[in-house]
Amino acid sequence: MRRLIDNDLLTAATRLAVGGIFIYSAFHKIIDPGNFGRFIWNYHIAPGALINLAALILPWVELLVGLGLILGILYRGAALLVNGMTVVFIIALASAVVRGLNIDCGCFGDAESAREALVRDIGLLALTLQIWFSRSRRWLCTRR
Amino acid sequence: MEAIRQSVYILVIASVLGLGLNLVSPKRIDYVGEWRELQEGVGPIVPPSAEPGDPMFIAVDSALLDFNSRAALFVDAREPEEFECGTIPGAVNIPFDYLPEGDLGPYIDSALSHLPKGAKVITFCSGEECDLSLHLARNMQSLGYSNLAIFFGGAREWEKFELPMERRRQCDD
Repeated sequence: MRRLIDNDLLTAATRLAVGGIFIYSAFHKIIDPGNFGRFIWNYHIAPGALINLAALILPWVELLVGLGLILGILYRGAALLVNGMTVVFIIALASAVVRGLNIDCGCFGDAESAREALVRDIGLLALTLQIWFSRSRRWLCTRR
Repeated sequence: MEAIRQSVYILVIASVLGLGLNLVSPKRIDYVGEWRELQEGVGPIVPPSAEPGDPMFIAVDSALLDFNSRAALFVDAREPEEFECGTIPGAVNIPFDYLPEGDLGPYIDSALSHLPKGAKVITFCSGEECDLSLHLARNMQSLGYSNLAIFFGGAREWEKFELPMERRRQCDD
């Protein structure tokens, strides 16, 4: 199991996939932060005063984390944040499903229910955990 | 420790980029929005003069969502004096009573800076006693604007919820 997790090719593929997902996800949010703020508001879990700040900053975190994973820059920080964000997304989506909120997840710009996104993000967490636990450091711009 | 330190770097860079580029973005939003529950909202106000086929009537909470997310252009149908005394921030004034006779198309297109016909537009006026917003929306509908809504609660309901107002001059109520 350890050899599989540390496999260079598997780790590189996972970095590419997860990094690509986060960059793609960030794109439409950066272009239209007001619309993204509306999605955040729909979850009814963040204070109103913080919605716009989150809508402005979070997409850039996603973009930088995606680039960090693919290019291997600030790699451990990107790996930590990608796991942290995925866990936060799962908690937010699960709370929406539990409360019966019939909302669009706001993840990629296309309409997607919170329930569908929750299943996808649990799968995504398996990938982000592989990145975190892998000791492979091949094809990184920096060694750390 | 290294991971936490790098995470802080990423968060700082993201904050600088996100907050800084917002200053020059065409989709600029306020750093602190007006997102809040309007639990006393009574739902959309629909006047007796409404007819089938009219643009939809929206409640103040829907109007606030579109205001916060910059999803719509607000159009104030009242006369310029009332508009200047206090309106929804960013609203454009098209005083329905002052519209010229004849083809309104060029006038309205110009007032809206040739906004695409499919862009979301919300018309409003003072409140329930005023139907200028309805008449303006009907005229715009006939001109091909396809994504219209009428906030019939108008400036009065907006102000009742202590939402931000743009005042170009001081007026006595």
